[in-house]
Amino acid sequence: MSDHHHDHDDGHHHPRPRSELELRAEALEALLVEKGLVSTDAIDAVVELYESDIGPQNGARVVARAWADPAYKERLLANGTAAIAELGYGGDQGETMVVVENTPGVHNVIVCTLCSCYPWPVLGLPPTWYKSAPYRARVVAEPRAVLREFGLELAPETEIRVWDSTAEVRYLVLPERPPGTDEWSEDELVSLVSRDSMIGTAIAVAPEPTPVA
Amino acid sequence: MGGMHGFGPVVVPGCELAYHERWELRVFAMSTIVGHERLGSGSGRAIREEMPPEEYLRASYYERWLWSTERRLLRKGTIAPGEVDAWMARLRSAEDPPRRIDPDQSRRVVGAVTRPDPPLAPAADPRFVVGDRVTVRRMRPAGHTRCPRYVRGATGGVEHVQGMDAFPDIGPYQGPAEPLYSVAFASEHLFGPSEDGSWTVLLDLFESYLEAV
Repeated sequence: MSDHHHDHDDGHHHPRPRSELELRAEALEALLVEKGLVSTDAIDAVVELYESDIGPQNGARVVARAWADPAYKERLLANGTAAIAELGYGGDQGETMVVVENTPGVHNVIVCTLCSCYPWPVLGLPPTWYKSAPYRARVVAEPRAVLREFGLELAPETEIRVWDSTAEVRYLVLPERPPGTDEWSEDELVSLVSRDSMIGTAIAVAPEPTPVA
Repeated sequence: MGGMHGFGPVVVPGCELAYHERWELRVFAMSTIVGHERLGSGSGRAIREEMPPEEYLRASYYERWLWSTERRLLRKGTIAPGEVDAWMARLRSAEDPPRRIDPDQSRRVVGAVTRPDPPLAPAADPRFVVGDRVTVRRMRPAGHTRCPRYVRGATGGVEHVQGMDAFPDIGPYQGPAEPLYSVAFASEHLFGPSEDGSWTVLLDLFESYLEAV
């Protein structure tokens, strides 16, 4: 947890009109605070946690370690939850985490068609598109069309594996390590791992295009 | 909603963000605290599905969370009907919402969010083994289920025995523990032939959903 003082702009001084929903959310908070059941700072703390500490930077650390350390990668693929816990990540929506590996012929994509299941400890809260009806409806039924919307065109012979997180298992994609990064340190590799590459709607790419042979 | 048509593009402006307004994150935080502090009753996920379908589709993501959080609190008797509306009226008339500081609750909740829970226990007496062909039962459950419609009646192969978990359809999430399987389906068996080739869809399915082929 960082200890800087973020704005407590959530209950006071509204420069713009509040929507009914925003007002309802504030009313619920006021009610729970008034009853002495929930404290303002506990809400602030959870907000802060997901804004600062729990996010795709954690997953990127896991992926970079797997790229840099073959023994770690082996442990990660054998028992995702335990290997992820080695780096200090775990908790809500990460009770059982399974890591699926992209290889030259196989590309994995994660979805939750029923709601929005997502491995919070390593990816944080899901982006709006992940929770949207179009993604939930379409990625199981036309994955290539959906990936094309993200600018990802896979070779026709690549096997696409779409993981629908229907139970309590949470999935994380281990993207392929970009070519030309053999000399990169683990810390440098972290910067190549985007959130979307760990969901499977992108691949990890090195900033410099690799020269065409 | 897996497989449905008509929802339009996935990638739209703003879709990269996890939330768009501060109140959404505070609703998320309240829901988290309500869960860990046992202030509510029932599963948020299952309650969100009780929204009338046309309302569910129209509602924004955190609107659904606000809806379910309120209902969990009402069901437990933590709040009474009308209390949120009463606070909305007070806020509308420019009353300042109360603030309360409780560092113990903050510490407790942050600890609970980041504390790894035990992963799924190994499956006891699984009826199926890796490699078995299984067909998903035809059914029409009235309440919460983790068996999407698009997979019912389809035949696939058991890829992995994930472990033991509470059957989600009863309770919900109060059913007896039973084996959970990762089952792989060829896209043709779910959606018929596609101009975009073939792919694999994998779901985590409870033993009660499955029949031997």
